[in-house]
Amino acid sequence: MSGFDTLLAKQNSKLALDAQALGLPTKRVESWKYVPTRALTRTSWVEATPRSASGFALTAGRFTQAPRGLQVQGASLTETESARLDALYHAQGFALTHGALESECLVLRVAKTDTQTLSLTRLANQACEAGFATLVIRVEAGAHLTLLETFEHSETMDANLDSLCILWMLERDASGTHVRYQAANDSAQTFTSIDVQTAENARYTMQSVDFGSKLARTDIQVTLGGRGANTELHGLAVTNGSQYHDTHLSVDHAVGDTQSAMAFRTMVDGKGEATFNGRVLIRKDAQRSATEQSVANLLLSDTGRINPKPELEIYADDVTASHGCTVGNFNQTGSFICRSRRSL
Amino acid sequence: MLSIRNLHAKINETPILKGINLEINPGEVHAIMGPNGAGKSTLTSILAGRDEYEVTAGEVVYQGQNLLELEPEERAWAGLFLSFQYPVEIPGVKNIYLLKAAVNAMREHRDLPELKAAEFLKLVREKLKIMQMDEAFLHRNVNEGFSGGEKKRNEILQMQLLEPTLALLDETDSGLDVDALRIVGEGINRMRSPERSVLLVTHYQRLLDTVKPDFVHVLADGQIKLSGDYTLALRLEKEGYEGIEAA
Repeated sequence: MSGFDTLLAKQNSKLALDAQALGLPTKRVESWKYVPTRALTRTSWVEATPRSASGFALTAGRFTQAPRGLQVQGASLTETESARLDALYHAQGFALTHGALESECLVLRVAKTDTQTLSLTRLANQACEAGFATLVIRVEAGAHLTLLETFEHSETMDANLDSLCILWMLERDASGTHVRYQAANDSAQTFTSIDVQTAENARYTMQSVDFGSKLARTDIQVTLGGRGANTELHGLAVTNGSQYHDTHLSVDHAVGDTQSAMAFRTMVDGKGEATFNGRVLIRKDAQRSATEQSVANLLLSDTGRINPKPELEIYADDVTASHGCTVGNFNQTGSFICRSRRSL
Repeated sequence: MLSIRNLHAKINETPILKGINLEINPGEVHAIMGPNGAGKSTLTSILAGRDEYEVTAGEVVYQGQNLLELEPEERAWAGLFLSFQYPVEIPGVKNIYLLKAAVNAMREHRDLPELKAAEFLKLVREKLKIMQMDEAFLHRNVNEGFSGGEKKRNEILQMQLLEPTLALLDETDSGLDVDALRIVGEGINRMRSPERSVLLVTHYQRLLDTVKPDFVHVLADGQIKLSGDYTLALRLEKEGYEGIEAA
């Protein structure tokens, strides 16, 4: 049983049937072990009502005012894109639910050697409303896109849900910069799944800041699929009250001469909880690859909780890899020292 | 620069300071000595802004401002620096981040441009050399795994970078071996200037051999019982505090 059953029952698709049969992930699913699913299962979710927006926005699972120059009208997905989304949707029960309830799949395209900047605002849904959407971004050879993703902070007091799946397809020498600032209101259930496919010499960078939401779950998967491809991922999550933030990150060095660097910082105060899972896979043939991962967490209270899990899986023998993970208590004295040193 | 008048303070319901009076002028180095439990660390903690102490009477004027009304960071912006008796470990926060944030916050307050990473590294390397510290200290978490002496050197390194107007050094000499004591003492001496004052709390005279104070005060039972020049420290080393406490 899940709070999405009524919505799923209205759909006549295999995905919806599969989602209903599978249900939402339980704590037995390793990647959802710490996720508080109470609001997801106990809320009777209804279809969200679109709101008016100025500029490119996501509301009720639909995009408004997509940039004309970038939007690919009536586009059908390529085989690779369909395969990627299919794999994402079948990862677990919530992703299946997303796939089944998705209202829109928008395709954007940045033409060869072009440079574009795009701002996307994710508007809050109303009480008990849920919206699901997918964005496919094709960045052609040598082109660059900067995506600024922000979240509206509404006054909605009851649970509301917004789920977005973003698929980046970066062609040869293309690059994508993704800047995220998540400050949704404290009743929001915010889900984001980011999948990045990189060709030769392509580059994906992300800076992500998470402050808001009752529950914010972010899945990031980067496949370094062409020689010279590289990624840099930076994140900061600050959790307070009874918020829960969860970042699941996976970088796949599928071929050689690829680089990845990750730095994630988390601070938890009050009864907040945060989970960080960072997995780096270096495949057997991905020789001369390099990866760095730095994860540092600070507990600001005795009642908060942090669940960090860095994972490094290396099958090649000519690689450079480093990772570090710390969890520290930041008590009153530590706070005083930083204030005295003007560092807070 | 600093004027402490009839300062009384307590922690929980226990009175610690019972009427401290002290004047510190620019360029002066004052040493406060005294037996355990006299209130030496309480005095520096109150001056730096720790909130577990309650000031029950008196006032502290620093450069014309009521110091007791300022938050810890405001005191730091105003040029106050406290070297901690027990520098705490802050796991997860790298020393270099703390130092760079502190230096740039100070520069911003003084309307100076932020130091770029390369500029900061150049500056911090100069100071590390003075304190005879390895660059590896920068990349370790604040005080984590540092020996007692390394923690104290790290405190003086911070002082060198922040260039305070008034430095409060709380038992900076405790736990130091002879060589570390000399390095720390020389580090403090390098900071002496006509515009900068130092209030140095110590149990022993040995640090004062290197850092010669202009004034020595004996704090006992929450009050300054006796003040004098450097020779008072020599006398205390020979005779102890007993006679003074009884006075």
